Amino acid sequence: MNKVRLIIGLAIVTVAIVAASVLLYILPLDVRDHSPVQPLRFSHKLHAGDNGIHCLFCHSYALKSPAAGIPSMEECRACHLFISPNAPEIKKLMKYWEKREPIPWVRVYSLPDFVYFPHMMHVRAKLPCAACHGEVATMERITRSASLKMGWCLNCHQKHKASIDCWTCHK
Amino acid sequence: MKRRTFLQLGTIIAASAVLDGCRSKNEQLIPYLIPPDEGVTPGKGTYYASSCNACPAGCGILVRVSEGRAKKIEGNPDHPINRGKLCARGQAIVQELYHPDRVPHPLKRNGPRGSGAFTRISWQEGIGLLADKLKALQREQNTNGLALLTPHLRGTLAELTSRFMRTFGSTNHVSYELLTPDLLRAAARRSFGHPSLPYYDIAETRYLLSFGADFVENHLSPVKYGSAFGQMRQGRDTVRGHFTYVGGRMSLTAASADRWMPAKPGSEGALALGMARLILAESLYDSGALAANGLEAKKLLAALDRYDLPRVTQLSGLPQGAIAEVAREFASTRPALALAGEMVAFQSNGPESVRAVHLLNLLVGSLNRPGGIYPDAGFPSGPENSFAELLALIETMHGGNVKVAMIHGDPLYSVPPATGFHDALAKVPFIVSFSSLLDDTALHADLVLPDHAALESWGDVIPVAGTREPVVGLMQPVVEPLFDTRQFPEVLLATAHELGGRMAAALPDESYLELLKGAIRKQAGLEAGVDFEATWVDLLQHGGSFKGKSSKLTGYRWGSDAPPPLPEDPDFAGDPKTYPFHLIVYPSTAFYDGRGAPYPWLQQLPDPMTTVVWGSWVEINPETAAELGIGFGDLVEVTSPQGTLRLPAVVYPGIRPDMVAVPLGQGHGGMGRYAQGQGVNPLALVARQGTKQQPAWNATRVRITRISGKGELVTAGHPQGSLRSELVEI
Repeated sequence: MNKVRLIIGLAIVTVAIVAASVLLYILPLDVRDHSPVQPLRFSHKLHAGDNGIHCLFCHSYALKSPAAGIPSMEECRACHLFISPNAPEIKKLMKYWEKREPIPWVRVYSLPDFVYFPHMMHVRAKLPCAACHGEVATMERITRSASLKMGWCLNCHQKHKASIDCWTCHK
Repeated sequence: MKRRTFLQLGTIIAASAVLDGCRSKNEQLIPYLIPPDEGVTPGKGTYYASSCNACPAGCGILVRVSEGRAKKIEGNPDHPINRGKLCARGQAIVQELYHPDRVPHPLKRNGPRGSGAFTRISWQEGIGLLADKLKALQREQNTNGLALLTPHLRGTLAELTSRFMRTFGSTNHVSYELLTPDLLRAAARRSFGHPSLPYYDIAETRYLLSFGADFVENHLSPVKYGSAFGQMRQGRDTVRGHFTYVGGRMSLTAASADRWMPAKPGSEGALALGMARLILAESLYDSGALAANGLEAKKLLAALDRYDLPRVTQLSGLPQGAIAEVAREFASTRPALALAGEMVAFQSNGPESVRAVHLLNLLVGSLNRPGGIYPDAGFPSGPENSFAELLALIETMHGGNVKVAMIHGDPLYSVPPATGFHDALAKVPFIVSFSSLLDDTALHADLVLPDHAALESWGDVIPVAGTREPVVGLMQPVVEPLFDTRQFPEVLLATAHELGGRMAAALPDESYLELLKGAIRKQAGLEAGVDFEATWVDLLQHGGSFKGKSSKLTGYRWGSDAPPPLPEDPDFAGDPKTYPFHLIVYPSTAFYDGRGAPYPWLQQLPDPMTTVVWGSWVEINPETAAELGIGFGDLVEVTSPQGTLRLPAVVYPGIRPDMVAVPLGQGHGGMGRYAQGQGVNPLALVARQGTKQQPAWNATRVRITRISGKGELVTAGHPQGSLRSELVEI
């Protein structure tokens, strides 16, 4: 009797472990924060939306480099020396500058190392930034709107008749 | 709490902890404080053409730089030496730039020599210290008290150093390298009347006969000759060139051959003459070539009378049939090419043996012919016996006549102790090292004035023995200097300015770049009115000037007063009874003469023949090993008349039973965390016999004893001949 119980117990444990492993494999384990809290309450709605600043004004490398780039501290400061210098968040910015420390922004969109994603090719193909990044102009804090999974990439590539050769992205 | 609840809770906590581990965190996005200069686009690489100075071959390189950092080095496709190819040592020089143990600023010794206790000083103080010592020498009218020891320099830097020493009034200027091809130059001088190195047209030859020249790994210009070898084997539709290798140890080059002839060390010259005699006796020689060189077959045959087949068979230890067969093949296949390399040159009878190989080329009409041998036009004249100069310097230092020694490179590592260099250097009261890592020499220096890394430096690199046209490669800095270092020539210029007077007048240039540009401008020979800046930018963009005017050198011709080569019997240090084995020290594929050792990429590179990674080893023939009871990976003691070393044994079928071989390059006392304490330096075993002023690194005898089964050998696989399986594996 005891032996049977032991065997059944062991079987259940084995099945549970296998099931858990399978689940771990299938489950979308991308539990990264889609809308992380940033060290500074920077508002894209205010900059890109209300004031209508073009994306490429700050993310100026998107046209010519794989990386879109983020503005340097000096560039933030250059404007905000004159524009609302007394706002609490701007004061925080100036404190960073005085300490000669960069702001540790939290990255929202990131791709694994084995994916080659060039911003410049997508911008040059006249793909709007919002196609991947969502309606940034309405967001107070940036929220990731795309899954960034391979299926999502391929869907768009097929729709736009872009190459779906493996070597296009995995090189 | 019930037991059941406790277990449930425990499981939940454990599971959530595990799941939390799978969670990938959001990365950070760090902005620049101040945007980079115009021309730097984050995420995009810029390619700079430069030149490699990791060995004398002087290949052209392209460096990918992104965000101001050098990321990857490849060969420059336009460069006539390497045509876009590059060896592992060249690829690894990016690690010189980012080495964690680089000397970041000038240092002054504050402890006993060799202790590595230094204090930081400023450049002004450093150059001031050096200048004070030199001024003191000037005051005492003892300008010969200054010695400068460098590797073989070429181009503008050579010109600058010799001008510095000449103007200062010192004759103690020695350029020395362990693996210098001096003996090839000396042999060419005796045979052909001018000391140019050979340029081998391997790509076009049909029969290649190498006497100990490992051109795939390190002989003269390995990238050039490696790809030419590929061309010779597979580049032609109808011909696959035949390759025979003569030498007691199977190197990577020997392993690529069709036939391996493990001749006794020191007998290679006699073997070449035996073949020459057979070619003459059977009238297989090129009579036109003989006549053009002013030689007569009859006279030559008479001069080589001693080298009949039975005697050569006995001297070389090779089967008679094989020698005759190779000689006939060599003479009847045209074009045929014979090379002589370090294995031959570094014997006691080296120069004459090299000349014997020259004679073989002459007999089959391969001088100045496609598929044959030409004089190298890149750097036609150079030192012919820098070893003798080094010995003279050691003598002077020993006598206490050198007060200040300025040293570039690491002679404490690369000069064999048998020369007495170590004791002599200890007698020099003030040693200045220009090393960028604290190598053995820098550790013993009183003042360290660190040089830039190659990727931060300006320079001209003249390739050795790789072209028939003069080629000048340019080095340019691809990144901003990382530390407070200064390029060696800049320090010389600054010191000259500090000394003032004649020195400042002789070296008026403000910077080395200015001097270099002036030299290149002179070479370019521009007409008046042509904008040099544009030419300069163009040269930098392409990596140098590759369209040199065709060489003024006439081809090789046997000198009218050149005697026939007659190598004496090889002479070895050590009594054959006490020391039964010949020791061969060969340049390792990864480290060359040791300068590659500080780079972890090269430390991780398994040796291509034995698959050993890290450390040193001694190669022993399986027969010998069985006799001595030595197994693969055992710790053995190698004793020569000069010294004793302990290292693991590799049982290696590709070596003569009466020979053992140890690779060069490891066993540094300093040179950063990756080189320090790895393996042993086999130069400690090399002995000198007699008073010969000749670098006979392969003329030492040793004995071997087994110490224990724990050699701690690491191999990347099961090499051929592996007798034990319990090796550490990676």
